Amino acid sequence: MAELSDIANEFARGEIDEFIENEDERKEIIDLYAAASPDMQDIAATVLEGDNDKSDELTKQALDNGVTALTVMDDGLIAGMAIVGIKFRENFIFVPEVLACARAMKAGMAHIEPILSASGVEPIGRVLMGTVKGDLHDIGKNLCIMMLRGAGFVVIDLGVDTSPDDFLEAVDKENANLIGMSALLTTTMPNMGKTIELFIDEDKRDDVKFMVGGAPVTPEFADDMGADAYGDSAVECVEVAKSLLKKNASA
Amino acid sequence: MHQNTHTVESMTSRQRVLAALRRDPVDRTPVCNPTSVATVELMDLVDAHFPEANRDPHKMARLAATSHTELGFDTVMPVFSIIQESSALGCKIQWEGKDNWPTVKMNEPIWLEPEDIAIPDNLCTHPDTKCVLDAIRILRKEFGDDVAIIGKTMGPWSMGYHCMGVERFLLMSLDDPDKTRRCLDKFKESTILFGQAQIDAGADALTLPDHATGDLVSGEYYERYLRDMHIEFTEELKIPLILHICGKTEDRMEYISQTGMAAFHYDSKNNPCNSMDICNHRISLVGNINNPQTLYSKGPEEVHAEVKENLEAGVQLVGPECAIPLQTSIENLKAIPAAVREWHKEQAARN
Repeated sequence: MAELSDIANEFARGEIDEFIENEDERKEIIDLYAAASPDMQDIAATVLEGDNDKSDELTKQALDNGVTALTVMDDGLIAGMAIVGIKFRENFIFVPEVLACARAMKAGMAHIEPILSASGVEPIGRVLMGTVKGDLHDIGKNLCIMMLRGAGFVVIDLGVDTSPDDFLEAVDKENANLIGMSALLTTTMPNMGKTIELFIDEDKRDDVKFMVGGAPVTPEFADDMGADAYGDSAVECVEVAKSLLKKNASA
Repeated sequence: MHQNTHTVESMTSRQRVLAALRRDPVDRTPVCNPTSVATVELMDLVDAHFPEANRDPHKMARLAATSHTELGFDTVMPVFSIIQESSALGCKIQWEGKDNWPTVKMNEPIWLEPEDIAIPDNLCTHPDTKCVLDAIRILRKEFGDDVAIIGKTMGPWSMGYHCMGVERFLLMSLDDPDKTRRCLDKFKESTILFGQAQIDAGADALTLPDHATGDLVSGEYYERYLRDMHIEFTEELKIPLILHICGKTEDRMEYISQTGMAAFHYDSKNNPCNSMDICNHRISLVGNINNPQTLYSKGPEEVHAEVKENLEAGVQLVGPECAIPLQTSIENLKAIPAAVREWHKEQAARN
């Protein structure tokens, strides 16, 4: 079992010590960081600090030094976002800080994605995300996207005001196995159900899992309209997506 | 903890609301929604539908009046959405139909830098702001001094979201606090101009939504960026101001209580007793009946329970936590004043 002192990067060590309170989570994160090389810990720290210039620089440097894209992504960028997610869930940080961390992750991913894409590495899942028809609010959906990308998912952002037809059209085109729908208004959340109905009518319902969320959406409402899962936060969205994929794999 | 009412003579709705905003004794707790009680059922009832009711002063006034005439609330509020001045500033608006709210297209920002922000001379004569002013005049004529008329002027933080985009504005607030303050300073002009115009038109109080919610930013952010500016608003706009912030806000209620605002319209994510403790009679509370899970989805009995919880906590004005879902039933909305009356009757019987 690794110890906090096994982590070379001082900033990452301090963050874990200060912010990860749950024992199991703390152990998991310490193991993750201790197993990563000091260079990868440094990359994770740039994400934690929200330093996009440094993330860009260190990611490029690591790739130039022959570290694989997958290692940089998993041990550096995703490891950084893992702590960001916990800090956000526990209200140690808020949306501006998460946006800055996600921007740093994105700066690193700009170097990683073309390599992974060219090498045909399969992501852990491909998710379509959209705010439903009639709804222009996207901050919740965008936070989910940041957290999903931070966990290694490929996310196709359909934006706001996404009609049931838009979801249907995109699912084939993007070869997605998950759909995430968001709504901030009680007036628009029924459009989640309409989207699911369209997939049933078009005989596509079994091809994809639906997860839903948004301020007025409740687990009961999600269930009533036939969604596969409900998430009440951007952090939970990642857990929900992982568990739906497990269900898919065991189906 | 609840209000002492048994020695107070019968009041008009307007007197009751204004007294509660001053935390003076009232004959009974006023029922109020400083945001919106427009519903599709009410629109049908008075033939004033969205989106026209957001743009035609007569329809706007007709629909607003229903909160008193049909529901028995003590206030009328003609500004059903949060887009009027953003439209006047040049933001693109998706007006939607009868069954949905108009929304600002925030992912199409009109300004990127503080230097870009320019509040136009026609802010209060633009059709979408003038409509509100005309509706307030119509309502004042119709209700005289009987009912409290509440206007609405958007705060600078919310205007930042509308005009510059939510993510862009939030990132700026972290990257460059000085630039953010310069933006807020410029948006402040819109808040004051539109607020003053509504006072001149006859508003009794103004809702000031400024969405620095705990779902997005920390309580420390509120203190850093908004507390002093909100104090300034209370000095500039000389009628009671009702700050509205959705979501979790207990971590900033201490700062909010320091602003001199008359009231804080608070969300159901906050506990009424805790909130009253924090505010400690420095500011009145308005709220906090849950919208999606109670008013929209449940029945009068559950509404009654939430009203009672607020009354027991001593909340000064009772009502929905925010603009109510458009498909909310009239029956559930009527349950709010009914529950307030019943509770006061029970209290009087006990005394």
